Amino acid sequence: MHIKIFIGLFCGVLLFSSCKKWLDVKPESQVSKNELFQTASGYEEALNGVYSRCSQGNIYGKELSFGTLDVLAQNYYIPGRDPLAYLQTSLYSYTNKDFITRKDSIWNGLYNAIANCNLILANIEDGKKIMTSMDYTIIKAEALGMRAYLHFDALRIFAPSFASNPDAAAIPYVTDFSNKVTPLSTVSAVLTKIIKDLSDSKTLLATVDPIVSGGYIVGYPTLPSDGSTEQADASLFMQNRRHRLNYYAVCGELARVFLYSNDYTNALKNALEVINSRKFPWTSQADFIDINPQRIDRIFYKELVFAWYIPPQTKPLLLLFGSDLNSLYMLQNDGAGIYETGGAGGDDLRYKQWFKTVTDASGTRLDLLKYTRDPDSNRHPLVAPALRLSELYYIAAECTYDIDPARAMGYVDSVRLHRGIGTPMTAGSKDDFLDQLVKEARKEFYGEGQIFYMYKRLNRNILGLSGTIIPASNKTFVLPLPNDEIEFGNR
Amino acid sequence: MIEIIHGGALPEKRLALTKTIMVMRLTALFLLTAFMQVSAAALAQKVTLSEQNAPLKKIFKEIKRQTGYVFFYNSGLLERSHPVTITAKDEDMRQVLEKCFRGQPLSYNIVNKTIVVSLRKDSSVILQPPIADTVPGRITVNGRVTDDVGKPIAGANIVVEGDKEQRGTTSGSNGEFTLHGKPGAVLAISYVGYVGQQLKIRTAGPYMVRLIPGTKDPLANMVVTGYQMINKDNFTGNAVTVSGEELKKVNPQNVLQSIQVFDPSFNIATNNLAGSNPNALPQINVRGSTAIPTGNGAVLSRNDLTGNANLPTFIMDGYEVDLQKVYDLDVNRIQSITLLKDAAATAVYGSRAANGVLVITTKTPKDGKLQLYYNYELNTTGPDLTDYHVLDANQKLQYEQLAGVYKPVGGLTRDDQEETYYGKLKNVVSGVNTYWLSQPLRTTFGQKHSLYLEGGGSSMRYGLSLLYQTQPGVMKGSSRNRYSVGMDLSYNPGKKIIFRNTLSATEVDGSESPYGNFYNYVSMNPYYPKTDSLGHVVQKVDTWLYDTHREGDAQFKTESALNPLYNATLHSFNRNKYLELIDAFSAEWNIARGLRLRSVVSYTKRKYSTDVFTSPFANEFFYYPPSQYSLRGSYAYMASDENTFDGTLTLNYNRQLGDHFFNVALASNVHTYNIDARGVMAVGFTNDRFTNIGFANSFPQGSAPSSDLEKERLFGSLLSINYSWKNKYMVDLSGRADGSSKFGTDKKVAPFWAAGIGWNMNKEDFLAGSRVISLFRLKASTGMIGSVSFPPYKAETVYNYYSNTWYSTGVGAAVTTYGNDNLQWQRTHTYDAGIDLKLFHDRLSLSPRYYYKLTHGLLADIQLPGSTGFSSYTDNLGDMSNKGFELNLSWTMLHNSNWTVTVFTNLVRNTNKIVRISNALKSYNDRADHVQTSDSLKGTPLLRYKEGQSLNTIYAVRSLGIDPENGKEIFLRPDGSRTYTWDVHYIVPVADYTPKVTGSFGAVLSWKRFQMNTIFTTRLGGKDYNQTLVDRVENADPRYNVDSRALTERWKNPGDRAKFKNIADLGTSQVSSRFIQDDNTLDLTSVYFSYDFAPSVYSRLAMKHLRIAFTSNDVYHWSSLKIERGIDYPFARSFTLSLQTSF
Repeated sequence: MHIKIFIGLFCGVLLFSSCKKWLDVKPESQVSKNELFQTASGYEEALNGVYSRCSQGNIYGKELSFGTLDVLAQNYYIPGRDPLAYLQTSLYSYTNKDFITRKDSIWNGLYNAIANCNLILANIEDGKKIMTSMDYTIIKAEALGMRAYLHFDALRIFAPSFASNPDAAAIPYVTDFSNKVTPLSTVSAVLTKIIKDLSDSKTLLATVDPIVSGGYIVGYPTLPSDGSTEQADASLFMQNRRHRLNYYAVCGELARVFLYSNDYTNALKNALEVINSRKFPWTSQADFIDINPQRIDRIFYKELVFAWYIPPQTKPLLLLFGSDLNSLYMLQNDGAGIYETGGAGGDDLRYKQWFKTVTDASGTRLDLLKYTRDPDSNRHPLVAPALRLSELYYIAAECTYDIDPARAMGYVDSVRLHRGIGTPMTAGSKDDFLDQLVKEARKEFYGEGQIFYMYKRLNRNILGLSGTIIPASNKTFVLPLPNDEIEFGNR
Repeated sequence: MIEIIHGGALPEKRLALTKTIMVMRLTALFLLTAFMQVSAAALAQKVTLSEQNAPLKKIFKEIKRQTGYVFFYNSGLLERSHPVTITAKDEDMRQVLEKCFRGQPLSYNIVNKTIVVSLRKDSSVILQPPIADTVPGRITVNGRVTDDVGKPIAGANIVVEGDKEQRGTTSGSNGEFTLHGKPGAVLAISYVGYVGQQLKIRTAGPYMVRLIPGTKDPLANMVVTGYQMINKDNFTGNAVTVSGEELKKVNPQNVLQSIQVFDPSFNIATNNLAGSNPNALPQINVRGSTAIPTGNGAVLSRNDLTGNANLPTFIMDGYEVDLQKVYDLDVNRIQSITLLKDAAATAVYGSRAANGVLVITTKTPKDGKLQLYYNYELNTTGPDLTDYHVLDANQKLQYEQLAGVYKPVGGLTRDDQEETYYGKLKNVVSGVNTYWLSQPLRTTFGQKHSLYLEGGGSSMRYGLSLLYQTQPGVMKGSSRNRYSVGMDLSYNPGKKIIFRNTLSATEVDGSESPYGNFYNYVSMNPYYPKTDSLGHVVQKVDTWLYDTHREGDAQFKTESALNPLYNATLHSFNRNKYLELIDAFSAEWNIARGLRLRSVVSYTKRKYSTDVFTSPFANEFFYYPPSQYSLRGSYAYMASDENTFDGTLTLNYNRQLGDHFFNVALASNVHTYNIDARGVMAVGFTNDRFTNIGFANSFPQGSAPSSDLEKERLFGSLLSINYSWKNKYMVDLSGRADGSSKFGTDKKVAPFWAAGIGWNMNKEDFLAGSRVISLFRLKASTGMIGSVSFPPYKAETVYNYYSNTWYSTGVGAAVTTYGNDNLQWQRTHTYDAGIDLKLFHDRLSLSPRYYYKLTHGLLADIQLPGSTGFSSYTDNLGDMSNKGFELNLSWTMLHNSNWTVTVFTNLVRNTNKIVRISNALKSYNDRADHVQTSDSLKGTPLLRYKEGQSLNTIYAVRSLGIDPENGKEIFLRPDGSRTYTWDVHYIVPVADYTPKVTGSFGAVLSWKRFQMNTIFTTRLGGKDYNQTLVDRVENADPRYNVDSRALTERWKNPGDRAKFKNIADLGTSQVSSRFIQDDNTLDLTSVYFSYDFAPSVYSRLAMKHLRIAFTSNDVYHWSSLKIERGIDYPFARSFTLSLQTSF
């Protein structure tokens, strides 16, 4: 008798224990995606993760801010010893090993960040129940906006410019989190998708982004107080809106994208929305030239519409710009040329504050100080500019020139004025105007990675160092897709 | 007839049926049942009886029920017995038996847990067959039964097979017997402890029957699968069983090495870097590799290839343990090991089975009498430097000059260089010729005391084991010491239930040599003195200026030659230790006859810690500038905590129903494992007197504490059926369903199965009684088993926190790997066929086997285009096959009362082939091409994966050798044209490491009380890439000491037919087929010599047994490949003297 009971029990145990849940072991030092999206803070962490990912050295933490892109724009003198392995990059030899490694890593980094956005978007509707509607709206808007932002940079790097060939096969516009390959879209198709995502993002943010409210005052986070409320919000997640893709950043990015598509009307509209908001005050001269190393603001912190928060890059930056002859630097003559110190730029504060003249056995060179801060305490955190106010003035200028050249030059002059150049700009033709605009932008964007895009968008020759000229060509402007992308994506 | 009394009732119908059962089968059954009872009952020795005129048979049953002792007798005997009246209360069983047998014509004998009943020796009565011998056609047969050395065996059973009416007989006191049978009938002769025999009646005889002793170990005839114990004769799977005693004879220090001798398909990879470092765990695979390294995507050379993905599963007493446990296990505790190789044997382990399963059974406390076993070993090891041929002082200087070291370089003129040269020559002439190799080495003495105490009462038994073992390594200061204590308790409150608990605590302390890497001594120049004139060890012995051939400032570099001995004068240390606690509890319930429920629950806790302190004065900090003096010295601390739980519930059913024999197991098992590891590193020590981590100045810049948390869970249910009919035809069927936390979320449960068939042809009429063939068995099996040896969480899309770099708006988490929800276990289909053959009374045994393993769904990284956001994900893509041939042969050449001579050989050949690979491995090959040209790996062949090739293929550029005219190497392009330029695209598969055959052979010789075993292992027909020729001859840096061939065999003048390039060419030689050589080796692995003292000697010492033995391991290594062996740590020879006794 008891045998039967026993066998029954035994089988019961077998059945009972085929419990699937028990086998679902979750990593403890990591969190599975299903678990992360159980809580509202999980969504916040996932969104923060997108920005943390973007601040890594292989994308905006270095290469797309002051590394590869500025090397391609011929902003640095690179000696034959080639201490940082950028020499071949500066020569546009796109088959070079070091270049390929960095370029592939840029591609993979951008798309990994995009995948992170897509994973948030794939789960965001489930989160509606557990999040406040403000959280939901901001996270969804930023994820959409970041997806577009990242695709736009991938497009600007790896595809021909809209001006040169709008119908060229460009990059995949990835909107799903999956291991399936997304086919390539044309340049104009990608731009349409970018504009769609950014517009959606803008609509969402317009009502909820705290930066839009009058109470949000842009300023230095640390004392002495200048009235900043950027860190006033009780929730850390809602602080420092300018370190994330805020409403104005989306407007600015839209202005960029429309300009890239030669849609001056919409570009101007969006640029002016930022400029006219008067949210981002010009940096006072006093702050720029402060002799107290803890108070000097070399990055024009308050003018940044959007910037990456990059304190982990302190050490790499020191290696890049603070290692004497092993740094990325300029010869003095080249620097003087770029900033036109012999002419209108004689009093350009940027030249004086951003560069340190060092004379040694090798000659006289200029070390970049733009990212140099007092090691212990500063008025602002270490950031890499992603979009600054002056760029919107330049966009506005470019969009206005055809209608009203004087107003256009007025936009440029307002930037020049705040940098210590009192002489007004004069341009005889659109071409002359653009030449000068590029020159101005190069001064302003030095070490920020934006000037390369401008050369490419306008199909302008790149002005090299020591008087060299690199003719405009898609051979230099279009970086090749990674081999893995071609091979495994059947490109 | 013969009958075995079981605890349960034996219906009369069954008795009638069993009459036809042949003796042979009964013997097998007996052994099986006897074994089942070893742990089943057989504990109580006290008997309570109250019977009036009861038949002896009933008394036997009762005793059996109470004690678990089995009775073995010919039922005809009992007919002559008279009924017994007895009253006993808690009396000793022997006394009770004595009472029962008083006045009976019978006597008894206790062998193991069996009571053998026979005719009283003084009784001259020969059992009369109940049927008169007048039956037509019958003749009277005479014979004599003796043991293998000619001593008569009394009480042996002789039965006529297949004759329903013939009842058989037993042999008398002088071993003689008489019975009646038809000519052509087969007699089966058996006796407990001996292997049964059959003979065909032809004439009246007399027949001389020699019985060969079966091994005393009850497990020897059993295959222990961990869930079942199956009689070897009835098992279709492929398993190798070796007793602990045999293992110990081969290598008393290292169990794993011994197993390799008994079955070379249990392959321990030679670790040429770690040599004989006692702290290095071996890498093992069984019947070839079934996995490809996945994960980090780093390019691998052979030295990086860990065998861990192919590690077999280790099961000890029913629960899973890890390699570490087996490596540190005391061989004296091992009863036997069983290596399960094919699917039929391993399918019960399902997802853990693909790489084979090693089942270890430890000794359990025996009889209730107090027994003490003691084993002492004195082990001495000495370094084996026979493969090192370095230059002496004079030759070295000569080589330097030929290599152009003293040419003007940088700012140094010819005069400066000559001055340096003559300074060194002065050293040489004045007699400095340091043999640096011997400096960090020593001859060691290690000891082992191993003690086991067992005893207890009728319902309670205990065993206590103690181990103290020191194992110093041949490099000074390196050692591994083991201390352990174990407690074994068993308790049977009722007659049907037994509880057993084993608790053991082990501490292992390892220490690495402060002398550092052995390579540093090999490369030290012999013309440097060890110490200065005052006997002080000086840190910096020389300075060199050399040309790096780089551009700019970095072209000339000054480097100091540092004395590696200096490190040993400091207080640096590198220690690792662990404390392990294992508690295993089992409960067993004998529900009914043949039906048994067993549960085993074990819990293992192990705490590791590693402390590595490097003195601030150590050579590695020599180049620190003064500004970084506060960062000199480092301390790394790592600790981990491992917890393993293993639970198994098994229902066994063993039953013979007529000619049908069933052995069924239904089981379920749970296994969980978790590890929590953390580590921290600190730098900045002022001196090396304060070596505590608390004295450190700071953490290294940018470092953070590290941690690792891992969890694994496994659940499985299985059914295994072993069936045999008349012991002739066997079938094994098993199936298991496994759930593992490592599988993808969509595939949590995996099925595995196996089926095997076998035929004992020797049991067929046409072979029965054959004088030549004693065993002829055909077996074949197939099955599908799995492995999940990949890191957990591969199946999940997981977020990693940027925990130490917050974003300004809070901590971020990002996805960096794409989890594959569909991830599955690897499935290995196996096919196995073999023959077991024993000839001439088992004198010659031969078992050839063939196997084929095809692993499907090999876990591999699938390359993705970056635009998906990921570079790769893991999927089941790729197939790999392993096929092989195994041969075991043993021949007892001589066997008599004084002499036994047995020779044996075990040979294995395994071929591995990559059948299909994923695109990621193809892109891996591209990366390998890329890395192949980097400075550090130019001369090392890297692993590549190509379909149709094996995992062991060597990839290099084909070479025609050195051009005698100019000393340059001539390469062959893949199209066959010649060139002087090496190019990575010329790399092709050129050879295979896989040997044609690996194996062991040897002889076991015993003469009277002496025994000697000699075992060789060999590897033939493989190829190897001689790294020494590359690193130490061609790419040798002339500023360091080199292999002597760098001086003697390199090209010097036009016309030289040299094997190696121009001596003055300091460029780097790259991978080429020129360095591939035949790899044929022969090792004298083990020489064993023992003497068992005569009873007169040991009984005087109050001992029960005394043996002295001498084992020598790794005595001699011969190889066609002249290669430096033991790069970071030299190989060692070891000699062990052991003393074994019991009280």
